[in-house]
This record gives sequence, structure tokens and C-alpha cells, in this order.
Amino acid sequence: MNCVRKLLLARELSARPGVLRQLAPGLDLLRLQGSSCAQRFWPVPVRSHSKFTPAVKGDQEKDGESRDGSLVPLEELFDRACKGERNKAAFTRAVELFCQRDVRRRGHIEFIYAALQKMPQFGVERELDVYNKILDVFPKEVFVPRNFIQRMFNHYPRQQECGIHVLEQMENYGIMPDNQTKFLLLQIFGAKSHPVRKYQRLMYWFPKFKHVNPYPVPVPLPQEPIDLARISLQRIAADLSAKVTVYQMPLTDILDSGKEITQPHIVGIQSPDQQELLAHHNPDRPVFVEGPFPLWLKKTCVYYYVLRGELLPPGEKGEMLDSERNFYYPMHLDLDLDRGPWDDEEFDVDEAEEGPIFAMCMAGAGDQATLAKWILGLQQNNPILSQTPVVFHLAPGPRELLAASDSEPGEEEIPQSRRAQQEC
Amino acid sequence: MQIPEEYGGLGLSNTMYARLGEIISLDGSIAVTLAAHQAIGLKGILIAGTDEQKEKYLPKLASGEHVAAFCLTEPGSGSDAASIQTRATMSEDGKSFLLNGSKIWISNGGLADIFTVFARTEVVKDGVKTDKITAFIVERAFGGVTSGKPEDKLGIRGSNTCEVHFENTKVPVENVIGEVGGGFKVAMNILNSGRFSMGSASAGMIKKLIEMTAEYACTRKQFNKKLSDFGLIQEKFALMAQKAYVMESMAYLTAGMMDRPGVPDCSVEAAMVKVFSSEGAWICVSEALQILGGLGYMKDYPYERYLRDSRILLIFEGTNEILRMYIALTGMQYAGKILTGKIKEMKKGNISVAMEIFMNKFHDRMGRKVDLGLIGKGGVAHPSLDESSKKLEENVYYFGTTVEGLLRRFGKTIVDEQLVLKRVADVSINLYAMTAAISRASRSMSIGLRNHDHEVLLTNIFCTEAYFKNNYAMAELEKYAAENLDDSIKKVAQQVLEKRAYICSHPLDRTF
Repeated sequence: MNCVRKLLLARELSARPGVLRQLAPGLDLLRLQGSSCAQRFWPVPVRSHSKFTPAVKGDQEKDGESRDGSLVPLEELFDRACKGERNKAAFTRAVELFCQRDVRRRGHIEFIYAALQKMPQFGVERELDVYNKILDVFPKEVFVPRNFIQRMFNHYPRQQECGIHVLEQMENYGIMPDNQTKFLLLQIFGAKSHPVRKYQRLMYWFPKFKHVNPYPVPVPLPQEPIDLARISLQRIAADLSAKVTVYQMPLTDILDSGKEITQPHIVGIQSPDQQELLAHHNPDRPVFVEGPFPLWLKKTCVYYYVLRGELLPPGEKGEMLDSERNFYYPMHLDLDLDRGPWDDEEFDVDEAEEGPIFAMCMAGAGDQATLAKWILGLQQNNPILSQTPVVFHLAPGPRELLAASDSEPGEEEIPQSRRAQQEC
Repeated sequence: MQIPEEYGGLGLSNTMYARLGEIISLDGSIAVTLAAHQAIGLKGILIAGTDEQKEKYLPKLASGEHVAAFCLTEPGSGSDAASIQTRATMSEDGKSFLLNGSKIWISNGGLADIFTVFARTEVVKDGVKTDKITAFIVERAFGGVTSGKPEDKLGIRGSNTCEVHFENTKVPVENVIGEVGGGFKVAMNILNSGRFSMGSASAGMIKKLIEMTAEYACTRKQFNKKLSDFGLIQEKFALMAQKAYVMESMAYLTAGMMDRPGVPDCSVEAAMVKVFSSEGAWICVSEALQILGGLGYMKDYPYERYLRDSRILLIFEGTNEILRMYIALTGMQYAGKILTGKIKEMKKGNISVAMEIFMNKFHDRMGRKVDLGLIGKGGVAHPSLDESSKKLEENVYYFGTTVEGLLRRFGKTIVDEQLVLKRVADVSINLYAMTAAISRASRSMSIGLRNHDHEVLLTNIFCTEAYFKNNYAMAELEKYAAENLDDSIKKVAQQVLEKRAYICSHPLDRTF
């Protein structure tokens, strides 16, 4: 069968030497539009050939013959449309250009594949209306099967695959399609086609997964360092009573002498439980400032520092409830009975003990001077810090708050613990 | 009123005091002012004071020249009374204490001249310095005592409730009630002794309400029928009558018990009376207001004032939640001691105890008949109360086995299982109420008081309802009971409190 098809194609090619471009799928479009729904067996090979013409065209490209193939002008199309700026407007302009170029939309499958590839470059991969515009490129009502035989055999499989690829890219980026998408797909492929089935599957699963994250990161992430710090500190602390305080706003000052002073921002968080723990902390023992630790929020990495105390030896912990604590009822029964083994719901949890954490902060710069300012700010509410020695265990990590760019983590270097006693 | 006659008081017994309380309670503010003065304000001096203190203060307090107040609550410690921050430091010469601190929500705070103040003092015991609570009698004349302006309250707006501040108030050592560091016992005794009168006070108020509401219900006509002909209204009246009857019975039974010679410890019964009466009063006043409909809501009628005044009953003198814990835990302590005693005996090898326990369990399985002496030939209760008595006996026996089962399951960690203890307390309160009602009805029948058949009806209704509720509560207390929803409740509470909000999505939310 294949050789027969190639013979016929060769006949076509020889018949029309210079108009090879028209051997694009647009040719079969003409015939389809002209013919009735009944598939004539004679033209079938030709029409099904046309679905193979992309391969043929690919061969042509490989031949190196500079035909007006589809992939090369597509690149140019995108480059021409963007005019240096890669954004949504440029992308939509490119798509419209393609649509206006040819009523029959020849080469639309290649165009759509190329467009799907180019979307990340233009930064529009998460825009639903761009996907709708891409789906709009498909000619409407052409690929809808019109009789039972067409329905039986995978009607226009390449186009259906292309539609499925568009929807798959939407699925990969987690974009929920909307009514417009549904109508487009129905118009283009008809009900019960593969893309429409995929759409139905998308619409079944995506609503179920929408709220599956109990701690979603806010979208879009704020760019302002103070807001970002506030959100990420609240995320780490996970305590609704914790209070976020801004100890220092970012400031860039130019002195009279021309020297520039930049003040990095310092945002700290502490909850009332932590305040109480710190108040009960023994001032003879030191507290440690450690950092920076990374926190990833989608594609942003922020760094935070921690004020920590050491684990107390078990002897110094806790106070027993004395019997005169409650005037109204006995809080402790003086009985010799213990909980029965069937009701004992305590699990044997092997907990890794660690010392109490007293506060956290995020700062624009990770050097000792900035963090010392943080400790000074903490002293307002925790006077015990003025008598406690503070030891700084700082890793030489990134010095600035990085917002949306990747950095090489400095923690790979051996952290040099700079010990410094600080008493104010 | 309860001050002995030698100091100028009336020297009333508890029963007479309860009777007077019925009448005073017709106005909430007056009742609260008087209660704050005598039931708690001067009770400390009365119970634990030395003779000199009594000589010095009681006459003026009895005549009403001086008003007393009870100062325990602070901004940071309401029910958690032992965490008070007011300090009393000994002066250098050892003759007086300097009092520093502030108290809030002190009834009669603005009028009072004598305060019973609780403060922390340093006590040296075996060389160890600890902070213990001490009770002091503080006169306003000592100086340094300031009171704030009267608080704007929901109800009992006639009584003066304000903050009291103490600044370096000099209190002579002679004014310590009890001993230094013994404030805990003094406080407990004071608090436990004033509660029973709430039963008769609430009962008096409800009786008055029944009269006023019945007047209205029998005259107002809607749909060409009098309100009193409608079933739902009749149900409300029955409820009010029943609750009033039971409250009275419980209060006077407790007062009678306390009046016996010696100093019987009726604190648990008093707590039960307080819980039942405060909740009963709140429900009954609400229903009475409901009978009047819109008129009950108007300020022109006294019902809304009664409603607001009775709301505080559930809160002061020990919140109902705290008292339920008290009732349950005191009972558990007593039961636990017996149980540990039996276990010890068994472990020692005493076979008779082991056999007894085994036979008891066997009989329980086989469905035993309980006979506690209330019914039958030598029965104490009147035969027309046979059914109610049988229900009471069954409940009591079943309650006993339930408590034993709980102690075996939880042991002393039952202190943390508040939902379990709440049910235990509810059952005990119902049992005590049933006992009081049955004994009073039986007495009425036997001596032929007027309308004793009405009393029998009330008792039977109440006992049937209480029997059902008790059975349900005890079924919930079984192990792996299907009715027990404690785990789900705790889980819901944990999820709501984690987010500190209602976490369900709105019914109109969409995902696509």
C-alpha cells in the first residue's frame, strides 16, 4: 500500500511542479470542503497522503531544498511579530498573522506545535485565552465526523493528536479550561472525539485537585521584600497568634559626602508561646542565632534566620502541679489506678529532641550587624535578651534577599562559626 | 442573716436562710448584693475567723452599717483562682502586711467597707520558700483602697460591681483569716457553703414567673382560643412547675442536711443544686418570655430583666463547667479509693473479695433485680411512687457499675477526660434530683399535704425524663459506644481552632 501511495504522490508532484506548497494539508481541505461526507475510495489515498505530507515535507527539508516549508517561516513569523519584545501581545499577533495569512490554514498543525513550543519563551504558558486562541487556529467543523464510518475510524488522527497536545500542555501547567475551550473543541472535533474526551477528563479531575493543597502559596507572590518576608514567616511559624514586626525598612541613603548607605529590611516574627519560653530561659546559658536557612516558594528562594536555645537536660524541666492550684476541683486524683492497656492511646513516638526556638527573622543582609539590630529590636518585648549572651552561628550564605532569580547556595561552603559574645 | 445572735445577727439556720432567699430573689440585683455581703463577703470571718475578729467586725456587718465584699478574681485569674498576682509582703517590724494588687468584678466593690482579700504571701516551710495564698480582712479605712467606676453589665445592673485596687495597704497581722498560707482552705469553705441557697432563690423566682405568665396565658385569646388551651403553651407551664418543684426539693434537702449537728460536708450536694438550679432558671425564664411572645421582649415588662439577671447564675459562684468537674472528680476520688481498696485486698489474696466481685459480674450478666430498699414491704417510698423509685434504683446501680468501669479504663488520668466527667456529673445531678423529688413527694403523700397528687405527677414526669437521659448518658460512657461522639467532637474542635474560623467552603463556592 505504501508504495502505491508514493507512486500516486509522485504523480501529483510531477503534475504540479512549482506549487509544492499547496501539497500541504490545505489540499485535502479543498477536497473535503467540496466533497460530500461520503469518502470516495479513489481520492482517499490522496487525502490520507496529505496527512503524511508533513513527513514528506520533512523529507523535503532534509533534502535541503529550500522550499517554502512550514517550519522555517513559522520561526520567522514569531520573530517578526515579537519585534524584540516577548510577551502576550506579540504572541497573539503572531497567531493572528498566521490565521490571516491563509483562509485554509495550511500547515496549522505544525504551527500549533511550534506555538506550543514557543509559549514558555514568550511567557504565556499560563494564559488561558492564549490557549483558546491557539485552538481557534484549527478550522472549524471540518474534522467533525459525519457518518458512522468516519466515527468508527479515527477521523483526522493527526489533528486530534494535535488537539490533545494542546490540552496536555494546558494540563501540565495546571490551567483549568473554560466554556470557551469547550465550545471550540466541540466545534472543531465534535462530541465523542479524543480531544473532547480529554477535555472531559480534565474537567473531572481538575476541580477535585484545585483545593487539595492545605497550605497554598499565594498567587501571584508579592515582589515587595517586606510583604514576601511577612508571608513566608507566617508560613513557617504556622501559629495564628504569632506577631510579625518590621524592625527596619529598606532604605538607600546618600550622605553628603557622596557615600551610599543601604539599609536592608529586617522582618521578625515571634509568638506569645515563644515569648514565654524566652522569659523562662536561664540567662546564664547562651542563645544562638543561626542561618540562613532556605525556604522555597514555588520558584523563589528566601532565607531566614533563627534564634534558638539549647536543649535543657531533663532535670531542669517542668514544674509539678501543686495540689492547691485549683480552688474548685481537684486537678490531680490521689489514686493508685492507671490507664488500662486497652485505652492507652499514646503512641511510642521516638521524637528527636531539639531546643526551643525563640524567634525567626528574614533580613536583607545576613551579616552580624543586621542581625544584631534584630536582637536589639527583640529586646523591646523580651528584656531577658539584654542579659543573655548571644552567639552567632552564621553560614556565609547569600547576602541579599533573592526574589525570582536562582542563586548558588553558599551553604555548600564550610560554615565558619564566628563566635562573638554580645552584651548590651 | 446567718450571723449568730450574740454578734447582732439573726442566727438563722441554713433552712431558714434558704426560705428567705426565696423571697429576696424576686429582684436579682438585691439578691446579689445581699449574697455578696453575707454569703461570701463575711462568711470567711464567720467560718474561720478568731473570736476577736468576730467581735470586732460582725456586729457592724450584721446591722448593715458596714458592707462586706469578697475579693478573689483578678484580670488574669477567674476560675484559675490560685494564679492570683496580688502580693502581701510582711513589713519589717513583722506586725503588718503591705497589700499590692488589683481585683476586678467585685460585687459591692464600691459600697463595701470590709473586704475579704486573697493574696500571695511568702511562706517558709522546712527551709523552702513557697508562695501560698492567704486570706485577709481589709478595711477601707486602712488606706490605699480605691475602687473604680461601676461596670456596665448585662444583668443585675442594680448591684455595684467594680474594680478594687490595693496600693500598699497596711493590713495588721491580726487580720489574717485562718493562718498565713491557709487561704486555700478558707476560700474553698467559703465558696462551698454559699451555693445551696441558689436553688431556693431560683425556685422562688420561677414560682412568681408562673403566676405572672399564667395570668397572661389565661386571658389572651388567639384563633378564638385562650393561649392556655394550646398544647405547646401547656407544655411550657408543666416544665416550669416541674423544674421549680425539683429545685425546691433539692435546695431544702441540702439545707436540711447541712443543718444536722456537726459540720457535715455537703459541698458536692450544694454544687449539684447550684448547677441544676442555674440551668433550670435560665431555661424557665426563657420559656416564660416565650409564652408572652413579643410582649415578653419589651422593656415595659419585667421578663427581659429576669432573663438578663438569671444569665449570671450560670457564671458566678463557680461556673457550671467547673462545678461539673468538681462533682464528678470528688465522686471519682471517693469511688477510686474504694476500688483501690478492693484491688489491694484481692492482691493480698483475700478470696472472699475476689469471689464477691466475680459473683457481682455474673449477676450483672444474667440481669439482676436491683433492690435498694425503696419499694416493697419495707420500702421507704410511698407505693404510688413505685415506678419512679424503681427507675431510680436501676439508675443508681447502673451508675455504680459504669463508674467502676470508667475507673478501670482510665485510672487517674480521668482528670483530663472532661467530656466523660461531664456525663458522670450530669447523671449524678439527675440522681440527686430524683432522690429529692421522690422523698418530698413521698412525705407529702404520707402526711397528706395539699395537692400531693400534683406533686406525685410532677415527680413521675421528672423521674421518667431523668431516667431516660441517665440511661442515654451511661450508654454513651460504655466502651466503644456508637452513641459516643467524643472523638469526632474533639476532632472538629481541633480543626476549627487550628484555623480559628469556620472552615467549610461557602455553599455558593465554585471550582470551575
